[in-house]
Amino acid sequence: MRKGRAISTFAAAALLSIGLAGQASAQTIKIGVNEPLTGPFAASGTYVVNGAKIAADEINAKGGLLGKKVELVIEDNKSNPTEAAAVAEKLITADKVPVIMGAWGSSLTLAVMPKLLEYKVPMVVETSSSGKITTSGNTYIFRISPPSAVEAAAFKDILPKLHMKKVDFLVINNDWGRGAADDFGKVLKGEGIGVGLVETMDQSAQDMSAQLSKIKGTDSDTIMVTTAVEQLTLLLKQAAALGIKKRIVTTGGSQNPDQLIDQAGTAANGTYHLTTFAPWYPDQTPDPTATKYFLGEWKKRGFNFAGATESFRGYDGIRTIAKGIEKAGKAEPEAITKALWDVDFTGLNGKIKFQKQGPAGKESGQSMPNVYLIQIDNGKVILPKL
Amino acid sequence: MIEFLQHVINALILGSTYALLGIGLTLIFGIMRVVNFAHGELYAFGAYCVYLVSVLMGLNFFFSILVAILAGCLLGALIEVILLRPMRNADIDTTMLVMIGAMIVMQNGEQYIWGGVAKSVNTPFPEAPFVIGPFSVSSLSLFVFFAALLLIGVAYFLINRTKLGKAMRATFQDRDTASLMGINIQRIYMATFAIGSSLAAAAGALLGPVYVVSPLMGNIASLKAFAIVILGGLGSIGGATIGGFMLAFAEEIGAGYISSGYRDAMGFLIIIAVLLVKPTGLFARSERIG
Amino acid sequence: MTRLFPWVALAVFASIPLWLHDPYLLNAFITTGIFIIAAMSLNLLLGYTGQLSLGHVAFFGIGAYTSALTSLGFDVELIGGLRVVHEPWPVWTGLVLGTLVAGLCGYIVGKLSFRVRGAYFVIVTISFAEVVRLVALNWVELTQGPLALTSIPPMTLGLPGLGYFDFYSKQSYFYLVLAIVVISYVIIRRLVYSRVGRAMVALKENESLAVSVGIDVTRYLVLAAVVSAGIAGAAGSLYAHYLKIIDPDVFLFLYTITMVIMVITGGKGTLAGPIVGGLIFGFIPVVARSFAAPEVQWILYGLFMILIVFVLPQGIVPAVENLFTARSKAEFPASPKAKIQDAP
Repeated sequence: MRKGRAISTFAAAALLSIGLAGQASAQTIKIGVNEPLTGPFAASGTYVVNGAKIAADEINAKGGLLGKKVELVIEDNKSNPTEAAAVAEKLITADKVPVIMGAWGSSLTLAVMPKLLEYKVPMVVETSSSGKITTSGNTYIFRISPPSAVEAAAFKDILPKLHMKKVDFLVINNDWGRGAADDFGKVLKGEGIGVGLVETMDQSAQDMSAQLSKIKGTDSDTIMVTTAVEQLTLLLKQAAALGIKKRIVTTGGSQNPDQLIDQAGTAANGTYHLTTFAPWYPDQTPDPTATKYFLGEWKKRGFNFAGATESFRGYDGIRTIAKGIEKAGKAEPEAITKALWDVDFTGLNGKIKFQKQGPAGKESGQSMPNVYLIQIDNGKVILPKL
Repeated sequence: MIEFLQHVINALILGSTYALLGIGLTLIFGIMRVVNFAHGELYAFGAYCVYLVSVLMGLNFFFSILVAILAGCLLGALIEVILLRPMRNADIDTTMLVMIGAMIVMQNGEQYIWGGVAKSVNTPFPEAPFVIGPFSVSSLSLFVFFAALLLIGVAYFLINRTKLGKAMRATFQDRDTASLMGINIQRIYMATFAIGSSLAAAAGALLGPVYVVSPLMGNIASLKAFAIVILGGLGSIGGATIGGFMLAFAEEIGAGYISSGYRDAMGFLIIIAVLLVKPTGLFARSERIG
Repeated sequence: MTRLFPWVALAVFASIPLWLHDPYLLNAFITTGIFIIAAMSLNLLLGYTGQLSLGHVAFFGIGAYTSALTSLGFDVELIGGLRVVHEPWPVWTGLVLGTLVAGLCGYIVGKLSFRVRGAYFVIVTISFAEVVRLVALNWVELTQGPLALTSIPPMTLGLPGLGYFDFYSKQSYFYLVLAIVVISYVIIRRLVYSRVGRAMVALKENESLAVSVGIDVTRYLVLAAVVSAGIAGAAGSLYAHYLKIIDPDVFLFLYTITMVIMVITGGKGTLAGPIVGGLIFGFIPVVARSFAAPEVQWILYGLFMILIVFVLPQGIVPAVENLFTARSKAEFPASPKAKIQDAP
């Protein structure tokens, strides 16, 4: 009896979803959001979605877009490439969204990309860092996060002030970490700084003492680290426990300094971090008003401050899309794709304007955000005087 | 040489916690023939208990570890009664699937309740490391090392020196004969699963503060625990203890001197090698095949 | 009547692209179909020989990587300065090579690991999958490691000079997957109903007895492992050319678990089991997505799984079969398992 009802509920829900999906969205403008909300990247994906919601609410409070309300269609890609592609398919064909933001991790974004080509729908990439995303000739890709090459190039200007002689790398073993080790390695070598070990750690690894003990024994003065905040917390604690006195510089923009201070305690002191958004000093960000508004909303909704450095990308991603739709004058994929090239505004982390990257004639868009070097000193984030 | 000795110190500390994880699983695996995929989730459960009691409720850190161990014991007994008892006569794959289901539910339940962001637990131990000459180790790790050894000792005593342990060993050797001898098999199974679960929760309670507490911490714990159990042999507490230390050494030395990318492969390569040379695991009592 | 059932089912599935135009649901059918093929191959090992391979995704992934690399080409330097350069080949050769290489791996794994049984076999296969994943992750020169193989061409079929047909559209890919499902079904069916299959079931039911009557256990187990791994490799190849990108995530343990769930809920040791279980668990996420929060979708998935196992421990297909046999015992062809049990 009960089983029968469960099955009929399922069937009804399935029919409902298919039926509803078919209805055209005349009243609202839909924006697809394809993010990991369960699985290994759930925490970050959720932050980005929360940022996106703030942007959508802000736009709606100001009267919406083209006279219509913005509606985010948020789907969970389960931190899994197969699902990421399926979600893109659903957003485009069932929900009929004219534009997507996604999909956090590089492998997730790469899995979505063929679908964009198939249906000719643009996607604003808010987090992924793999170089392949903008260089594989997909004209529907517009990325606002910096790939490690951009970060490394920005780092070059700061480099002389840090007086490094030799650097070891310890990076997460994925495209992000490996890409960072390559790109930063090139810049360092170009400036005459020695590159020693390049050690990797598994994405799910919790104990890095082996790698750190190895690095402790080298003659380098600096360790460059690329990974997300959870692993970074452990790594700083373990480095402190091993008595490592070398300077630690982290890259990648997913470090979340406040969470580090909170969770790694004194082990975080003295560490340097390259980041693309500096919410601790709203007045020094490119658009102080927007930064203050965003942080105020973030706080009002009861989210922890530490998440702001991850979620601002969702906020900027949706704002970028909104500007694109405004410029296009209609919520249609082709028009938005064209209009995204004309988007030019100041995001929370600098100018958002897409430059062409990739094979000629089939370029993807890449925006070049600012990069800041911050330091944690006595449990506080400071802009170091160098 | 200094670097090598530092690797040895790291491996000893890591190994003690690996052993703790392995013992719980080997008991369940060996006595009940259940491939317990939820083992890692009980580990995560223990860690969240500590977070709840010591951070959110602000109670004593050591007290929170005790709470975690007891709660793990209770949850284990509950899982046994609700999920495993009705499946007693089902084959090993079917009970495994039930445990996979339990794993999926627990893991996502944790995320639903606590969110995906990792939590950290502060402890009364000083953050400054303990330094002896060129070697260095955090005092929390030292505490974890000794606490793990103590718990391993308790488990060993329980299995080898008590009446319950004797009944458990008898059930392991021959369930039917044990039953004929008047051993209450239902009770033994429940006790086994409860003890195994509380050991996993204890490991989580000890390691949660060392690492961070997140819904996914159970995955890697399960995988490591399986590796340890197979290294040591099914149902052998001594084997699981040595297996835990071996795995830790293999990982440390592998990452230190071969390649950090293959660090996690070391354990599995050893397993494959061990099974090819001595298929019953290094320390198992001989087991019937088939 | 029951003999007709597979044909009716085939006709129903073949008609799907004719009336179902929703690309999202068609996509769900294709990915589910790919996992059904993998689950069918797992069922050959688990259901018919009783050996649980929890590293089955390794064969799937090996098939995917082999196929992708065959069609993309590679250039690697092996130990000792030996350089191997491979120019891209037609895509369908990737499917063939993916199947063969995965089958070969199945042979090696089977040969090595069938010295052990039961729980130990489970762990050997997990270990194998983990090692293969780490090789895929770290042998960057060949697999591009975490940077992923991208721009994998869509599946094409044909010969130089005769022209090519490419499976770019969803409809055509659906039929390709369906064709491979049917081929795998036929291969497994023939194998299971042959002497080999009876030997396998015999050793599953009572290995020492099987040995004592002269069945060469290891040989049959290895044969099953080869066929099983080969089919899983074919599924992997279909996956790679459908998704058009693969990275070491293709070795996700979750994928093995998905296959196991499909086999056991559907009914292991039955030909239709993985298909029924596959359809159910392939579509639960699709349905659940429409009304539940992300974590809740997973919780429902897990609970539904436990529920099925509790209510129907043998799986769905055997339960339905029993319903039929109870009515007309003579008409229904007994499964090999039932035959063995009835024999003495």
